[in-house]
Amino acid sequence: MFQILVVEDDRDLNRSVCSFLNGSGYNAVGRLNAGDAYDALYENTFDLIVSDIMMPGIDGYEFAKTVRSLNQDIPILFMTARDDLTSKQRGYRIGIDDYMVKPIDLDELFLRIGALLRRAKIAASRKLEIGRLRLDMDGRTAVYDGEEIPMTAREFNILYKLLSYPDKTFTRTQLMDEFWDVGTDTAPRAVDVYMTKLRGKFDKCTEFELRTVHGLGYKAVLK
Amino acid sequence: MKKRGSHPVWSYFLAFFLLTSFVITSSMLLFLNYFAKSAGVEFTEENLFTAAIVTFGNAVFLSLICTAVDIFRRKVMVDRPVRAIVEAARRITNGDFSARISSKTALGASEGFEEIIGCFNTMAAELSGVETLRADFISNVSHELKTPMAVIQNYGTLLQDPELTDGQRAEYAKAITRQSRRLAGLVTNILKLDRLENQQIYPSAKRYNLGEQLAECLLQFEDTWEENGIDIETDIEEDVFIESDGELMSLVWSNLFSNALKFTETGGKVSLSLKTEGDLAVVRVSDTGCGISPEVRGHIFEKFYQGDTSHAAQGNGLGLALAKRVTDITGGEISVESEPGIGSTFTVKLGRAL
Repeated sequence: MFQILVVEDDRDLNRSVCSFLNGSGYNAVGRLNAGDAYDALYENTFDLIVSDIMMPGIDGYEFAKTVRSLNQDIPILFMTARDDLTSKQRGYRIGIDDYMVKPIDLDELFLRIGALLRRAKIAASRKLEIGRLRLDMDGRTAVYDGEEIPMTAREFNILYKLLSYPDKTFTRTQLMDEFWDVGTDTAPRAVDVYMTKLRGKFDKCTEFELRTVHGLGYKAVLK
Repeated sequence: MKKRGSHPVWSYFLAFFLLTSFVITSSMLLFLNYFAKSAGVEFTEENLFTAAIVTFGNAVFLSLICTAVDIFRRKVMVDRPVRAIVEAARRITNGDFSARISSKTALGASEGFEEIIGCFNTMAAELSGVETLRADFISNVSHELKTPMAVIQNYGTLLQDPELTDGQRAEYAKAITRQSRRLAGLVTNILKLDRLENQQIYPSAKRYNLGEQLAECLLQFEDTWEENGIDIETDIEEDVFIESDGELMSLVWSNLFSNALKFTETGGKVSLSLKTEGDLAVVRVSDTGCGISPEVRGHIFEKFYQGDTSHAAQGNGLGLALAKRVTDITGGEISVESEPGIGSTFTVKLGRAL
């Protein structure tokens, strides 16, 4: 069971988030300030941290910075009332993984935590397994049902990204920006060509489907 | 109150006296000099002394008349209008926005007062308009805030009853969740609008790809259109760049998209198009929803105005006010066309970065 640390100075909010997470199959521990949270981190291992920004004493930024300096991989989610871009930028620059503005929707928190944990696992192993399909980031190889499917590096990167975030639609530019060299002047429509090739190569694969979303972008849907 | 900067009467008198004496003395000297030379008359000291006294008396008399006339002129042409303006300004300072200056005050007043009084009255009218809006705004805000709070409070009380069935309990809890969500959305929007209106966030303009932003923004509503079975049509011209504050502009798009989706029934269609027209980037968001009547259209960008009260629970009447405010700040233009029963199209025009 995943261990989650919730750092939030409002007692009621802390308790409600913890009981929600405990009821959703996680093991959540609540702490009311950063000092107590440090102690909890010494005593236990956690898989994810949910933290407020504005807290008495050590604030969320300071806390996240310290945690990041000790642990590069643990996902940190900020849960805060500040919704301006500057606060978000500051958080992401410290190395947090996600940001939610209060009042938070608990169902959305659940979804985001799930996604963060899945990504953390994918990032740690650099491998993806969906049914009979195995993708290996290090070798850039795709094996379906024991048979290797030849792919170019770009095709592999696009597919890996889409499958890392199933059901999330990416715009062509988002799919491109990440992997294409900045210098190459490829029109976003080039992505369409790669998608056609990918669909052709994986047409017998029944585990997922690559869908076009209303001319806006693409997403991978798991079956 | 002390009379502002007014000099005592004797100072006016002194000024007039010096002036009159100077004029009379100079005229007398010139005249006598010329007269004595041409007529060859010699004046005795006695003659001169009498003449000097009479002349002095004359100067005093003329100065008195001038002072009296001047005091009267000031009373009518300056003091009276100034007093009226000061009085009206004081009433406005004390919160009485109905204060106006009668145009009769300008009769006979010095030049310029008529203009000042005109300006003053326009300002007062403007202020009382703002005041009415503010009062409406406050009553709207308190209504919108208090309704969900009342519901939450009531259901919270009801939930404490140990006799409740599980079904009732779940239903009450759901109502609390729904209302607190509404409250949360409202508070977020009020704060955003307030921040925009007080200009605490200044737009930080950057050049970016508008089509990409529109696509990313619209994709945030993917779940909504899938759940409600709404068709999406997009026609986005590639490589259209604008120079603007991306975070602010995304407020406009997300409000337009959420409105379009909210008012479109299952099976309907929402379309998004981005086109260039000369130097402008033109974004159109259309829906096949219930449309907006002409009366409603005139008020649609006002705070807390809701055209259709049956949809009131889903919105808070601030979305379009926010969108309008952002386009105002960023130098864009927002407009709406609509036909009741057929649908609406919102158009946003922005300057293109070439």
